[in-house]
Amino acid sequence: MNNSAASTSSGSGDVPAPRRNSNRPKYSRFTQQELPACKPILTPRWVITVFTLIGVIFVPIGVAALMASNKVVEIVYRYDAVCIHGNTKDEKVAYIQNANTSKTCIITLTVPKDMDQPIYVYYQLDNFYQNHRRYVKSRNDAQLKDSDKANDTSGCDPEKTTPDGSPILPCGLIAWSLFNDTYSFSIGNQNLTVNKVGISWKSDRDHKFGDNVFPRNFQNGTMKGGASLNESIPLSQQEDLIVWMRTAALPTFRKPYGKIEQNLRVNETITVIIQNYYNTYSFSGKKKLVLSTSSWLGGKNDFTGIAYLTIGGLCFFLATAFTVVYLVKPRKLGDPSYLSWNRNPSGH
Amino acid sequence: MDGKGWERVRMARLGGSSASRGREAAQLRQVSSQTVRLGRVQPQAPSHRTIYCNDREANLLARFKVNSVSTTKYNILTFLPKGLFEQFRRVANLYFLMISILSTTPISPVSPVTNVVPLSLVLLVSLIKEAFEDWKRFQNDIAINSTPVDVLQGENWETVSWRKLQVGDIIRVKQDEFFPADLLFLASTNPDGVCYIETANLDGETNLKIRKALERTWDYVFPEKASEFKGEIQCEQPNNSLYTFTGNLIVENQTLPLSPNQILLRGCSLRNTVHIVGAVIFTGHETKVMMNSMSVPSKRSTLERKLDKLILTLFGGLFFMCLIGAIGSGVFINRKYYYLGLFEDVEQQFNPSNRFVVSILTMFTLITLYSTIIPISLYVSIEMIKFIQCAQFINKDLRMYHAETNTPALARTSNLNEELGQVEYIFSDKTGTLTRNLMEFFKCSIGGVSYGVGITEIERGQAQREGRALNEIQKSDTVVYEKGFNFDDDRIMRGAWRNERDPEIFKEFFRCLALCHTVLPEGDESPEKIVYQAASPDEAALVTAAKHFGFFFYRRTPTTVQLRESHVEKMGNIQDVSYEILNVLEFNSTRKRQSVVCRYPNGRLVLYCKGADNVIYERLAGTNQDIKRLTREHLEQFGSSGLRTLCLAYRDLTIDTYENWNEKFVQAKSSLRDREKKLDEVAEMIEKDLILIGSTAIEDKLQEGVPDCIDTLSRAGIKIWVLTGDKMETAINIAYACNLINNDMKQLIITSETDAIREAEEKGDPVEISRVIRDSVSHDLKRCLEEAQQDLHIFGQKLALVIDGKCLMYALDPSFRVDLLKLSLNCSSVVCCRVSPLQKAQVTSLVKKGARRITLSIGDGANDVSMIQAAHVGVGISGLEGMQAVMASDFAIAQFRFLKDLLLVHGRWSYIRLCKVITYFFYKNLTFTLTQFWFTFHTGFSGQRFYDDWFQSLYNVIFTALPVIILGLFDKDVSASLAKKYPQLYKEGIRNTYFKWAVVGVWAFFAFYQSLIFYYFTTTASENGHNSSGKIFGLWDVSTMAFTCVVITVNLRLLMACNSITRWHHLSISGSILAWFVFIFIYSGVMTPNDRQENVYFTIYVLMSTFYFYLTLLLVPIVALFGDFLYLGLQRWFFPYNYQIVQEIHRDEVDSISRTEFLEIGNHLTPDEARSYAIAQLPREKSKHTGFAFDSPGYESFFASQAGVYVPQKAWDVARRASVRSSKRTSQR
Repeated sequence: MNNSAASTSSGSGDVPAPRRNSNRPKYSRFTQQELPACKPILTPRWVITVFTLIGVIFVPIGVAALMASNKVVEIVYRYDAVCIHGNTKDEKVAYIQNANTSKTCIITLTVPKDMDQPIYVYYQLDNFYQNHRRYVKSRNDAQLKDSDKANDTSGCDPEKTTPDGSPILPCGLIAWSLFNDTYSFSIGNQNLTVNKVGISWKSDRDHKFGDNVFPRNFQNGTMKGGASLNESIPLSQQEDLIVWMRTAALPTFRKPYGKIEQNLRVNETITVIIQNYYNTYSFSGKKKLVLSTSSWLGGKNDFTGIAYLTIGGLCFFLATAFTVVYLVKPRKLGDPSYLSWNRNPSGH
Repeated sequence: MDGKGWERVRMARLGGSSASRGREAAQLRQVSSQTVRLGRVQPQAPSHRTIYCNDREANLLARFKVNSVSTTKYNILTFLPKGLFEQFRRVANLYFLMISILSTTPISPVSPVTNVVPLSLVLLVSLIKEAFEDWKRFQNDIAINSTPVDVLQGENWETVSWRKLQVGDIIRVKQDEFFPADLLFLASTNPDGVCYIETANLDGETNLKIRKALERTWDYVFPEKASEFKGEIQCEQPNNSLYTFTGNLIVENQTLPLSPNQILLRGCSLRNTVHIVGAVIFTGHETKVMMNSMSVPSKRSTLERKLDKLILTLFGGLFFMCLIGAIGSGVFINRKYYYLGLFEDVEQQFNPSNRFVVSILTMFTLITLYSTIIPISLYVSIEMIKFIQCAQFINKDLRMYHAETNTPALARTSNLNEELGQVEYIFSDKTGTLTRNLMEFFKCSIGGVSYGVGITEIERGQAQREGRALNEIQKSDTVVYEKGFNFDDDRIMRGAWRNERDPEIFKEFFRCLALCHTVLPEGDESPEKIVYQAASPDEAALVTAAKHFGFFFYRRTPTTVQLRESHVEKMGNIQDVSYEILNVLEFNSTRKRQSVVCRYPNGRLVLYCKGADNVIYERLAGTNQDIKRLTREHLEQFGSSGLRTLCLAYRDLTIDTYENWNEKFVQAKSSLRDREKKLDEVAEMIEKDLILIGSTAIEDKLQEGVPDCIDTLSRAGIKIWVLTGDKMETAINIAYACNLINNDMKQLIITSETDAIREAEEKGDPVEISRVIRDSVSHDLKRCLEEAQQDLHIFGQKLALVIDGKCLMYALDPSFRVDLLKLSLNCSSVVCCRVSPLQKAQVTSLVKKGARRITLSIGDGANDVSMIQAAHVGVGISGLEGMQAVMASDFAIAQFRFLKDLLLVHGRWSYIRLCKVITYFFYKNLTFTLTQFWFTFHTGFSGQRFYDDWFQSLYNVIFTALPVIILGLFDKDVSASLAKKYPQLYKEGIRNTYFKWAVVGVWAFFAFYQSLIFYYFTTTASENGHNSSGKIFGLWDVSTMAFTCVVITVNLRLLMACNSITRWHHLSISGSILAWFVFIFIYSGVMTPNDRQENVYFTIYVLMSTFYFYLTLLLVPIVALFGDFLYLGLQRWFFPYNYQIVQEIHRDEVDSISRTEFLEIGNHLTPDEARSYAIAQLPREKSKHTGFAFDSPGYESFFASQAGVYVPQKAWDVARRASVRSSKRTSQR
């Protein structure tokens, strides 16, 4: 009974509560919103300093990047037009799809500058949507990696199985459309060997493509999309496939073909025998052969350098412009006359 | 434990706590289309219930509800379905649910993870919050339901828990306990069968109320007797009207009518009574208090409504983007891309033979792909931010803690923080808000002589303005300070009045003060320790004054009032005298006076009357014109000093006159129809030929810091309107005292106190009166509007509008409303006097709806509730007053002056923070989604995703979630003291500077710019970008690169948006960026055997092995932020915001408030404060309710009754002997 009386009376708030029972909030820097803080003010001086700083950092990087890019010697040769017979698109497609015609095509390239080895050989395709949603997902990673999952072709539509129902390995549109033009290079009578080992990322070889997974039923269908694979070589060593299956981000892309591990001298003429098998004529895609050296930055890519230089230059320009404005017509910091109610006292 | 339980009942909004409010609501609906939503009175069921007391079996048939209550929203079973349902009522959540469902279909480019994970996280957080709140409610319920109570079992009291109570049980409730259910009051240990109850939980009034049992049941106090009680109660069905009850008690074939006087409601507690016995009539959810608790209609802030528009715009943008993509996909798809395998049997989405279907399906694909444009975590983040702002910042702000009343600020809702930063109009109640409701007996006029030496604040203020010097008379050393008494005059104190010219009239004066009231004494019967329970502080002040004059009222019985009189016969003589109180003619708003008829021990019959000057003067006998004239002069003087006046008068009665009259009075008392009206008429018959004694003047003290606060707020561009029930002179005086009106302003007065109107009123034809007032109001409005246009635009003079309630009633008419609005918006301050609560709400809605400005109402009393609910933001004054205003409010503060902190500091910061949070959310999601959009153009519009599923799903909930919350909590452009020093900064909020479409547009522009940079720079730079070993990046390498840039840039952009950077900012921003790297290192480094596309396997390591990665990582964020930086620099340089200038002015100052300064807040008191502090420290302070008795003299109910609204009589009548008799009589009917 006492208990209940005590409990109810405490609820009423009517019993004169002892004053020490205070509702006073405790002080803390957090609740009083007094946390120590730095308060950066973007003063003109700061603006100028930051711009100058960016300029100082960016311009040298830009110069270095551009120099690296300029050092790279690159030969780009578009061969899809010269290596075809026929004028209209239909004729071209018919030609390329005819298995019986000779697709051999010989072109010559002239080395514009000395090229030190290794010289990377790339093919470049255009208007080829490797990033199309239907294309990107048409593969089965488990199948590529694990020999136990050879029959796992889920997601590979429409290149899952051969017409008789046996699973394709590697399945899917990506593998099916594997690029199959070949190049052989020679200078005069001397053949240039193309090393096709090590053109793919190591992580792909080691982890994404199994070393005990062998191609099966590949390109056995009614329609051949591209290259065939040697069924006795495990996927982890089929580097053309590995490179091809790392799908490109954009519809215009380069893919490594191999390396020429030999220096080329200026004005040397390289003869390239191209087996022009790959059908880009259906969708009017260009094909290019690229020979390129590389620098610390990679291949020829002026973009990074130009971007750095432009931004750096712009920053310098702005820094100068602001400095001039600052000197000619300085804005006094914290001038109360800038306050709107001081500028226009009667206004709102 | 129980304390907490009741806290909840306290919190439950007593929506329809009185019938009057219900009708008001109906009235409101008529008057204006849609103004305020108030509680509704539920229609009564036609039938009645019959309860057999003390007979459980008989009651069993009726299946009454049990007494356990449950206020939880969910139980274990319903929690998930109901909780989820609640969540999916939010459009954003529903949208994401649909997207999630869509993403499980093959049409989706993303795996369900992308949308399911963020949605689940958001739902999880919300559900945990809901569950936590419900759990607390559940604990409360358990505590309440298991409170013990004594039930009669056989002939013994047995203790059971509340939940076991049944209708018809006889129970015993002891002192200070709460009533467990609605009870019929049978018997009490007090003589006369009365008990005292406190109803603070119901209506917030802290004064005690009296309930009286029927005489027939007085005996059943003890269990032996009570067990014999067999009664049958027939009563109304449960309803929510707190002040009405109809029913009959049938005992031994006798029917006794029951009134609210015999009902003890759940939620009240028993006081000053050892115990009572009662019969349970309504239980559990059928009790009146439970039927009154209704869900608080939640207000949404203006900013949130604008946010809805923004979200809608985003939806529009989403649709537009999808449409472009869809059309593109229809155009693109072609069999010539043979490598896509578009054979004859290809699925519909890629079938080139039906391009239209392709487009439609791609539309859905793209919707799922771009779903990130709608910021899913925005609402949850905002909720969290606002909750912490309320719970940690507003509630715990020491600047808003009031030491005297021990009250911190309280944010009752967390929806409206940012609304506080945009308030343009404040509607303030006067009494208790601008003024302390501290009534002090200050001056008086007795027999035509004015006494009292004090000088009021207002006089001082006036003198200051006019440049006069006031010679303050030093108060004598022996002067007594007590709450309610601040008077000194050597001529009458300590019996000195005996030496004045006419001592007899002094006796009448003091006796009138000591006898004519409804005050209850409590505590020790000694002058030092006694505590007066009064309906209004005025009454208590008057009785206290009588005590100090030597007429000490120390005891009240139902029939007598006992005084200890000093110096009456001769100096120093003290004697106890008992006066018989024969009748009490109560105060009400129409009568504006109160009388008692009392019999002296020597048989003298006197009627003492006190009331408003005009009503008393009308009823005076025609003699002694001198006193009348002098007193009239004094009344005017007192009035202009801001004092509240009452006239006192008396009349000697002969026995015959009295007997004749009393018969009529008793008849009127017992009449069933129009009792109030008849009582008034009967009272009129005896309250005449009065002899004027004099008048009292009570000071209504201004709250601390009010003038300064008002000045600051008006410099902040906030316009303050005072809405008061007081008369015009008082209101204008207070307005002057508070700096609302000053001499530089032109006053435009629209009043009903004109000759024409008076003349019409004397004729008494209501149609004519209304026509005259209407014409005059219309004329006045036109005239004032013209003057206003002229003065404002030609002379640039500031204007003040004063309008009274009667005129306002007509001015609020739809035909004048526009004029009124136009006029009042041109005025810098507006004072509405003699307005009803209804009109307060109407004025508020007028500005809210008509001017579309953000309004705030602040008030302390029950009469402010409707106004508080009508405004965008309702603020209640807590601490000293009843709870009703606080319970209706959104924020409760202890003092008016705390508005300065609440608005200029908390409101402003909340507004700026919320704006930043929202615009930033908008920006970061738009940027992210636009990169996807650009990618779509390069994928043949196939809807291929750019980012990995998990990147996309964690973008909003992990990588960019925390910093924005930190921004929402800690960003601070200028310190609190500067925000108050430069109140003009607040105007940016009023003008909504930070969340205009222009601001959103700038963010959108930069989102656009940045997304282009992200997409094109990373892809272009990677095009030929292999590393030195000639390898080439794939899609996922590029996208990981782009995503890294996005995460870094977006987080850094937040840092650029901050005005103050604490270590929390550093932690959260670097933490977020770090989280991304940790995530990607693990995610792309580990290969799981489970079904997961190994797109991103090793990408980050591949990237990190190239120079390209580092160069791009430096380049892209800087280029992306370059635009923003340039913009911010130029903006600050050439078009600085005000706050930026203030920052610059004070750039070298450290935040000056130190810890010690905080400790001093509240301890630094002026002498006056010290006095009121001392008063606050007095042992008990119960009655501080602003009863309508003498506070704003009942004009609200006057207007309410004119408008046809019934105002119930308060049920706490004191010593109603006649009513007992009358109920007997009716019982024999």
